[in-house]
Amino acid sequence: MSKLIIKTIEDKKIVWFQNSNSYLIFEPLVAEILCKIDNGIPLGNIKKWCSKKIEIPKESISEFLKNVYAVYNENNLLLKKKEIKVSNCKAPEIFISEKYYFINNLIFKIQFETEFHLLKIHPNFAHLEIESEPEYDFNYTVFNNEESIVLLKNLDFIGKWEHKEAHIFEGKLSMHLLIDIYKNPETEWMGVFHASAVGNGKESILILGASGNGKSTSLALLNANGFDCIADDFVPIDNDKNIHAYPAAISIKKSVIKTLLPYYPELKNSIEYPFKKMNKTVCFLPPKNINFDVKLKCKALVFIKYDSRVEIEITTVSKIEALQQLIPDSWISPTDKNVAVFLDWFLKLSYYQLTYSNNTKMTTIIEKIFNDEL
Amino acid sequence: MKKKKKNTSENITRKEAIKKIGDYGKYSALTAIGTYLLLHPKTAQARSPANPGDGGGF
Repeated sequence: MSKLIIKTIEDKKIVWFQNSNSYLIFEPLVAEILCKIDNGIPLGNIKKWCSKKIEIPKESISEFLKNVYAVYNENNLLLKKKEIKVSNCKAPEIFISEKYYFINNLIFKIQFETEFHLLKIHPNFAHLEIESEPEYDFNYTVFNNEESIVLLKNLDFIGKWEHKEAHIFEGKLSMHLLIDIYKNPETEWMGVFHASAVGNGKESILILGASGNGKSTSLALLNANGFDCIADDFVPIDNDKNIHAYPAAISIKKSVIKTLLPYYPELKNSIEYPFKKMNKTVCFLPPKNINFDVKLKCKALVFIKYDSRVEIEITTVSKIEALQQLIPDSWISPTDKNVAVFLDWFLKLSYYQLTYSNNTKMTTIIEKIFNDEL
Repeated sequence: MKKKKKNTSENITRKEAIKKIGDYGKYSALTAIGTYLLLHPKTAQARSPANPGDGGGF
């Protein structure tokens, strides 16, 4: 018997398989069959039970059940964890840069062996940089080893990633900073969401959407119009369902700077970071008034899309569609306790699709969602 | 039962996530009952892939 978590979602059932950390949405009948399989009920009994539920020949039911077993077995396989070789990861003696950051009354020292490492991390936290300090709370070391990126924390090995996995290295470093900033271990976080979080002092709305849809731009616009920037790109939620602030800068594409300049004149002189692969240039906008004491409940999920042809359009999104967009883009803590919290959290939210080109109207809609006026 | 496993992190479409528990020809009721969605969360925390330094742009 494995660990399954089953919840109702609209007229269907969502089943989480612990061993494979996968979420499957079934018709209730299939979920019930899976539950019986998981409880070790003999096939013959399940077949009899099914015959009463579905009016089709027994052979077809047998074939169907055989296939349900296959789905169960496939998703019940224990995922092999990637082995991490700790050996041969001695830190270099020379670094291209050593930076110090002051975050939530803690001093972080980060050593970068190459410019590549520096550019991966520093622009996100440059606004928190301080002069070098003889004493610090945490020391991170980033260097190359066998053409991979290695991360140490207080000289302890954290991980090693190929260069093509650099965004996972950034995610792991971001997660460790989060753990340090809030003194809250990884197991106490329900998940980290690829979203922008905006707050009104009482609650938060998560702005979601594929890369390039305008999440960060929307966040910057909302931040300029009196809403709080809680987090951009990396939104942490604890297992009490509280959204916390994350201090990384908002990544702004050069192409939208013109739109934001009236609100952020400082963008005119900000450093531009070009990268050829994506054929774009970005600047980093420090969030205003980061408050590490804030803990906000989530009011709604808003899937956003900037579209020059649409002035403003707001529609509701079904739970299943919202979940389908949310899960593949999120890290959800894979423990049964946190998955139960996640599903409970998700199923009680409101979900919207917001397409816009009119910034003022977009701000008004977000305000209306906060005020229950939609 | 043939199916493709999808574990992509971005832009998974409804069509890509839809799976079938077998194919039952004339028993469309079974095909309908056996249709399901398969979703995988990210296996590790990640930042957006597009950040400075990618592709040696400097």
